[in-house]
Amino acid sequence: MFLQTLHLRQFRNYREQIVQFDAPKTILLGDNAQGKSNLLEAVELLATLRSHRVSRDRDLVQEGNPEGVVAATVKRETGVVDLALLLRASGRRTARLNGQTLKRQLDFLGALNAVEFSCLDLELVRGGPGDRRTWLDTLLVQLEPVYAHILSQYSHVLKQRNALLKRQNGDDSSNPNGMELAVWDAQLAALGTRVIRRRARAIARVAPLAALWHRNISDGQEELVIRYTPNVQAETAETDDPHQIQQAFLAKIQDRAIAEQMQGTTLVGPHRDDVDFSINQSPARQFGSQGQQRTLVLALKLAELKLIESVIHEPPLLLLDDVLAELDLTRQNKLLDTIQDRFQTLITSTHLGSFDAQWLQSSQVLRVVRGEVIKAGD
Amino acid sequence: MIEQFQRLPGIGPKSAQRLALYVLKRPETEIQALAQALLEAKQQVGVCRVCFHLSAEDVCDICRSPSRDRATICVVADPRDVIAIEKTREYQGKYHVLGGLISPMDGIGPEQLYISPLVKRASEAEVTEVILAISPSVEGETTTLYVGQLLKPFTKVTRIAFGLPMGGDLEYADEVTLARALEGRRELD
Repeated sequence: MFLQTLHLRQFRNYREQIVQFDAPKTILLGDNAQGKSNLLEAVELLATLRSHRVSRDRDLVQEGNPEGVVAATVKRETGVVDLALLLRASGRRTARLNGQTLKRQLDFLGALNAVEFSCLDLELVRGGPGDRRTWLDTLLVQLEPVYAHILSQYSHVLKQRNALLKRQNGDDSSNPNGMELAVWDAQLAALGTRVIRRRARAIARVAPLAALWHRNISDGQEELVIRYTPNVQAETAETDDPHQIQQAFLAKIQDRAIAEQMQGTTLVGPHRDDVDFSINQSPARQFGSQGQQRTLVLALKLAELKLIESVIHEPPLLLLDDVLAELDLTRQNKLLDTIQDRFQTLITSTHLGSFDAQWLQSSQVLRVVRGEVIKAGD
Repeated sequence: MIEQFQRLPGIGPKSAQRLALYVLKRPETEIQALAQALLEAKQQVGVCRVCFHLSAEDVCDICRSPSRDRATICVVADPRDVIAIEKTREYQGKYHVLGGLISPMDGIGPEQLYISPLVKRASEAEVTEVILAISPSVEGETTTLYVGQLLKPFTKVTRIAFGLPMGGDLEYADEVTLARALEGRRELD
């Protein structure tokens, strides 16, 4: 797929900006805090309906304005798609696909696919489990859009159940209604099981691809193993049987009932999942060198690209946010070899000298200055 | 007056202004009639003692009607749902309005809803089926599960099916509805 134009109005530090893309690679050049990453964020938002930087739309709309717009024209193999997302400083978003307002934002997902690789991703291995869950969820939403709905329902049940635990925790005088809690347990286990199974499935698909890339980048020296470590595990660990997982879920809730009551919060479920990375059988988190971790994250991103491509039958976009200069020449070239001119790539950088000159081939260079995009050389 | 109108559901500042200007333009008698109607409705309409649907009487028309089937009770969250189902004219049984859905975040537990009167009604011998017609949101599902468990010892409990809208093309159905419709599939008869 190819992103032809991006239109930003009152988005972040952009007042009104139309960007035309006409080369397989676009390099966005500019000093810090000029709006390079904001541009990639806009693309990410259209692809996933979420931003890895903020969770509130108020922060996305240009200050002092009630609303902002991110719109794009994407050329796909099946035809040209117009996407528009209206963001409001207070209130809900409106999503439009080919001029039609969508009743469900879910239908918006899948119109544009992108893999984002930013310097924040380099922290994926060492960071907290929450970062790894976000990574996995963002990938899953693009592979199986209905997952966005399942995940939001799960979070909703979680909030309700926490509210109930807190309330029962608050006043001991009122007889805690065991049956009410049991009903929320059942809901949590049913939805949680769907989250767990889909996450397990995604890891099962991405792990072998990432291992292959990691071996390739490390010249066969390193073996990467990615393992999903769910908070709730069925007795036979590798099972995909929803009944077994649900049983294990409910049993664990029983086990932790007293602790949950004391703490007034839900301690069991996929909101406590993690993903383990190990290189040559030692945990990458503790023993991985800086270089190994970079190889790992690069392998992961290449695996994501290939996986999404195999699912949607078209190459997705690649967004490289300030990360190219962080990779050494070998890794840069591996990346370049993979994307060639097939994957449309948007790259942000502070100066051209920070990465290999090969990247300039088949590239369009745009300069970003204080919320305006101008052709380099103009 | 504009501010008063704006408090009504679905009325924004522009609509409120339009309504206010309209009221100022109409003859006084007409406005008097409107004000009277609002007041009377507020003073006279309460809830039915049996099913908790809106009613001007102690017991509502549906509960008193001899032509309606006393053996089935349809459980809904809200009086609006009764009105929606009545419009179809397909249902001949009685109703029970819960008055909301279980939602701990809003401080609504089973005790805040008309659940125990429902259990009492369902335990009467003449009731053979309770139909749960509650929307499939997270709170709706929880309420359905809760009420279902309470009633099962007394009578047959069913729930309405969810799926595709009539006259809708399959290809235009959203994924969540389709997935739901697949889950609830049944054998062709």
